[in-house]
This record gives sequence, C-alpha cells and structure tokens, in this order.
Amino acid sequence: MTNSLLFGIATFVYFFAMVLYVSYLAFRSEMLGKAASLSMLGGVVVETAAIGMRWYESYAMGIGRAPLTNMYESLAFFAWTIALIYLVLERKFRIKTMGAFVAPFPFLIMAYASLNPNDIQPLVPALKSNWLISHVVTCFVGYAAFAVSFVVSILYLFKTGSEQLSPKSPGSFWGFFPTSAALDEIGYKTIAIGFPLLTIGIVTGAFWANVAWGTYWSWDPKETWSLIVWLIYAAYLHARITRGWRGKRAAVLSIVGFAATIFCYLGVNLILSGLHSYGSPS
Amino acid sequence: MSADEPVKTAKTDGTDWVEKIWGFLTSLKLVVILLLILSALSITGTVIEQNKPLQEYYRFYQPGTVALFSKLGLFDMYHSWWFVACLSLLALNITACTMDRYRGIMAGMRKKNRILDEKLSKSLQNLTTIRYALPLDAVAKKVVGLTGKGFSGKPVVTTAEDGGSHYFFEKGKYSRLAFFMTHLSILIIFLGAMVGSFFGYKGYVNIFEGEAVSQVETRAGKIQKLNFQVKCNTFHAEFYPGGAPMDYRSDLSIVQNGKEVVRKTIRVNDPLTFEGVTFYQSSYGGQPDQVAIDVVNRDGSLKGTVTAPFGRMVDIPGVADKMETVDYKEHYHLPDGSEGGRALDVHIYPEKGREAEAWLLMDHPDYDKQRGGDYYFRVKELKLKKYTGLQVNRDPGEILVWLGSILLIAGIMIAFFMSHKKLWISLKTDNKGRSELTIGGTANKNRDAFAREMEQMIQSLKEVS
Repeated sequence: MTNSLLFGIATFVYFFAMVLYVSYLAFRSEMLGKAASLSMLGGVVVETAAIGMRWYESYAMGIGRAPLTNMYESLAFFAWTIALIYLVLERKFRIKTMGAFVAPFPFLIMAYASLNPNDIQPLVPALKSNWLISHVVTCFVGYAAFAVSFVVSILYLFKTGSEQLSPKSPGSFWGFFPTSAALDEIGYKTIAIGFPLLTIGIVTGAFWANVAWGTYWSWDPKETWSLIVWLIYAAYLHARITRGWRGKRAAVLSIVGFAATIFCYLGVNLILSGLHSYGSPS
Repeated sequence: MSADEPVKTAKTDGTDWVEKIWGFLTSLKLVVILLLILSALSITGTVIEQNKPLQEYYRFYQPGTVALFSKLGLFDMYHSWWFVACLSLLALNITACTMDRYRGIMAGMRKKNRILDEKLSKSLQNLTTIRYALPLDAVAKKVVGLTGKGFSGKPVVTTAEDGGSHYFFEKGKYSRLAFFMTHLSILIIFLGAMVGSFFGYKGYVNIFEGEAVSQVETRAGKIQKLNFQVKCNTFHAEFYPGGAPMDYRSDLSIVQNGKEVVRKTIRVNDPLTFEGVTFYQSSYGGQPDQVAIDVVNRDGSLKGTVTAPFGRMVDIPGVADKMETVDYKEHYHLPDGSEGGRALDVHIYPEKGREAEAWLLMDHPDYDKQRGGDYYFRVKELKLKKYTGLQVNRDPGEILVWLGSILLIAGIMIAFFMSHKKLWISLKTDNKGRSELTIGGTANKNRDAFAREMEQMIQSLKEVS
C-alpha cells in the first residue's frame, strides 16, 4: 500500500529533521538551521501526501473514510499536527533552538505508531459522522499546541536556572536560547492557541455524542479527562492573565497540563475503558 | 480575560463579614483552587468506574470499602452532593466575579480621555512627537488618512483652545465584553444542564417490527407517556464481511390520531425528533415468534415435529410428554465457557418423573443427543420477531447548552485575539511656526503586537512630507 510507504518515508524525514535540529544547536550554523526547517517541512509534505493517499485508498477499497479513526492513524495525525504547528510557531516567534526538543516528537510518535496495526478497517456506525473530522482535527491541533508549550516551558525552567547561575554568559549552551522572558511569553501564546481549539474540540465532541448517543455529556473517562485538561489550562490562564502568574509557576502548570493531555489522549485508551475505544488493546 | 482591569482587592478590615465573603467569592485564589480541585475530583471518577451494579464493585473491593465508597457517593460521584457543591461554588464564584468586574468593563468602554492632555501623556509609554514644515491642515489631512487605516471609523475630533486639535481613534471597544461572554456562557451551560435534568427525561424502549408504542420507560424507572405513537416499520442490521457492524437502521413512523405524520429511517448518528422528543438508534434484538422442533429417535429417525408459538405448552408427538419453549439467546455460552451461538431453552414435562431443561443449539443440531433418553430435540425452524432498541430523550435545556457553548468559543476567540486599542493624536503649531504632532496609544491586550503596530505607524508618520 502506497500510504504505508509514504508514512515510512515521512518517519525517516522526521528523523533526519531531528538530527539536523540537534546539529544546529551543537554547531550553530545558519545553514544547518535552514536545512533542519526544510527537512521538517519536507516531512510534513510527505506525511500530508501519506494521509491523503490513505484517504484515497480507503475509497478505492470501497470503505471511504477519513484516516483518523484508529490508534495508528491517530498517532500519525498527532505527529503531523505537532510538526505543522511547530513550523508555524518557529516562523512566528523566530526561534529555531526549540526545534531540537520538538523535532523528536514527530519522529518518536511515528515510530510508536508503526508498532500498531495499520490496515484500513471500515467504520462502525457510531463513527460514521460528519463531526468526526472537525472533532478530531480541533482536538489534535490543540494537543499539538500544548506539546510545543510543554517543550518551551521545560526550556524556560532550564534557561532561568542557567540565568541564575551565570547571568552573563552569551557563549554558553543556554546563551544560544531566547531569554527566559521570551520563552515564558511563547509558552503562554502557544497555550492561547491550544485552549480555544480544545474548547471547540470538546464542544464538537459533545454535539456529536448528543447526535449519536443522545447525551452530550456522560462523564465517560475520555470526556472527563478532556475536561480536566481544560480546567488545568483554564486555571493557568486565569492565574496568568489576572494575577500575572509568570515564570516558574506558569511553566510548571503548563507541564502538568501537558501531562494531563497525554493521559487524556493515550492513558485513557490504554488504561481506562470507555466510549473512545480506538486504542484499546483488543 | 483582559489584563488592564485592575483586580479589586476587597477591603477586608475584619469587621464587615459581607465584604469578607464577597472578597472570598471574587478572589482569584478561589477560581484557581476550585478549577484544580474539580480536576482532581474528576480524576477519581475515572479511576473508580461509575454507576456499575453494586455486585460488580464487590468483585474489586473489600465489602467494607464498598460500603464506605457507596456512602461517600464515589460510585456516582459526578452527582454526589459534594461534587455538585463544588460546581455550585464555581457558579457562585463566576457570578460574583462578573458583578465585580461589571463597572470596570463598562467604564473601559466609555469614551473618556478624548484629549491627549498632560495627565494622559504621562501614562503613555510610547508617546512620540514629530515636527513638520507643512501647514497644520495639510498635516491633519494626511495624518488622519494614514492613522485611520488600522482603526475603524472616524476619529473623535476636538478643537483645542490654542487653535490645535485632538484626535481620538479606537478599535475593538466591544472586545471588552468577551469577559462576560466567556463567564456567562459557563452559567448558561450549567443552567441548560439543570433545565434538562429537571424538565427532561431519558428513556428507553424496544419496538417490534410492525408494532407501535405510546410510552417509554425512563432511566428513573417511571413510565413516560407520549402524545403520539412511534411505530417501527422495519429494522435492518448490516455487517461487513469481517463481521464488524456496518449499519443499524430503523424505519420509524410517528402516528398521531391514527394518521402517520412523519416517517423517517433513523441510524446511529441520525436520530428523529418530533415535538421535542428525540429517538436514537441504540440497540436491537429478536424474540422468538414461532418455533418448529423435530423430535428425533436415538437411531436418527424422525418421530415427529412440534410447531408452536414461543412459550406455549404443547404435546410431544408419539409420547405422552409435554414441552414448552421458555427462553432464547443470541449468544449461548457452553458449560466450558465457549460460544455456542443461538440457542433455544426448552422445558420438558414427562408423564412420569421430574421436569427437565435443555438448551438446543441451532448451529449444533444434534447437541441435545448427549442428554440421553429415548428421543432428543432438534430445532427445525425459528422465526424471530425483530425489535429495535431506541433511546428516547426529551431535553428542553439542550438549546441553552449549545447557546452557551457557542458563546464560550466566540468569547475565548475574542478574548485571545482581539483587543481594545486607543490612539490619541494632538496637533498644534509650535512656537517656531512648525506643525507639531504628538501621538500615543494603548491596548488592553497583546501589548507587544500593539507596540510593533505603533512603531510602524510612527515610522510612516515621520515620512509624511
């Protein structure tokens, strides 16, 4: 199947991008930085083609469905959104140094995805809905934004640590990174992108659940965990906007938020049971 | 969610307890702690499975633990008094904060300070003065054109006593209302959920093909009458070659006063709503209708065939015994736990001796031979009456939930991506006869972006000649 081949190539390109970003950090050469960004972009392009191909092939098989409905597809899509969101933010905030820390995500997620069965299965009746795409896409772009914010928050903690140790050392490893104030701001702005998307994701999910099951909220573990994530980031935003919580406390809350996000995405499927059974080991 | 309204710190002098409570209710600490407590409590509910039959809990926990958890409401914790109390406190907190902020936000929207006076000038960080050799009115014309681009509408112009003039531009004034949108939306969603639970119901009904019902049983165990009848014309289940379900659909009719008023085929994800009551495809099944059973001698020759409606006691041909069919299962589990497929439960009443029970497996016709005796049974034909299982909902609060959701999304978008920008320009002739322009502005959010915007604007103003 062509889509599997393309996903394989995308994984390889993401790996290459990761190596380039790390080398960029090590050697600080503009050329390497450019090559890293281009390589990441290449990975996104190839994976876009792979997703499109998989979609097309599902039609050719007479199944015809968006490639967003099992663990393999969802992981692949998650990798894609992280790579894409990262590229957008890299351009917006002009920091390439965080690439070395974000780029492993798409590669590792794709590698993990490849351990899951990747055959195209037809959809069960509950998933046959126009809400599938809007619900999944908004949730995942939100998750991806939180992932980037998580990386930035960790960098922030290291950066402040190094600033306290040696306030003026532009030549040092951490000196190559943006200032801690800039990292703090980027971490916040990324959450400001993810939060509305997560909200839309939860609302579209509730609407869909109401159409499919006749209840917009049933306290199913997935729903509950998405609410937990929402509450944590809501707490973060309130603390930050009205109380001016910045720096360390904000960074820690952002890290906790992403931990909850990952549990919501993977933990619920692998550990708890519920309506979102796409990842359950059956 | 805007940064420039000052957080009111309540005057807690220790004497006025109303102020104290108000201070507590509007404190940010309460919000953040409540949000984090709610998330922590919610986790509990995902770890302990909710709303299971009590006997299932006994399989996982000690009897003492079950009793304790049950008393604490941990098996239905999202409806427990303490969880609802936390949600109520959150609602109260949101209401108090909204009231607390009302004046500040309204004041922020009012057009005061239309003139760039001394006091205002001191508060602006980006105040810039540019001098031109051009006459004042020429500068005014060009400047207003240039500046107006980033702002909506015409500026408010005030003529100063010294012959100069003041311009006041603003944009996104109403973005300040985002605070109300995001916070009131949560209250509206809560209200919708309450309306739904007080005035709505969730029920369930099985309807056989060709039959109609006019009432459903609610989850609370009550019988809910409908103002109409729902008829199931047909039900179909389709499966993929691998066995996975592909489609469940019921052809339903709504019958009122003996006339069909609506007819629709519903599927999962495509329900039918009539007079506020919605019918969802939820499950299906079959119940035996007519049964034909062969009575076989041990040598394999046929003794006779019994044909009877399900559940009726009949004579077994050739012997003086009687039998009746009592139960049917789609998935019968054999004694060793393996799947036995479709099976029919029969009771046999011999002329002498005790009654006996046998499960007849449809996919293993001679399974009953092992029971022993002179003859055994074999299912010849089984006519099933199919039924569709419908979830039936009435939720008058639903519309409020969606209204609140839309308000919430719109509010968050506005709060994050729009700001109230104000810009002041004052023009006058300085003592050397040149035109002097002073410009300054503020934004209540996204100040970095606004600073860049201002920088560009000042640059282009400097290039005016």
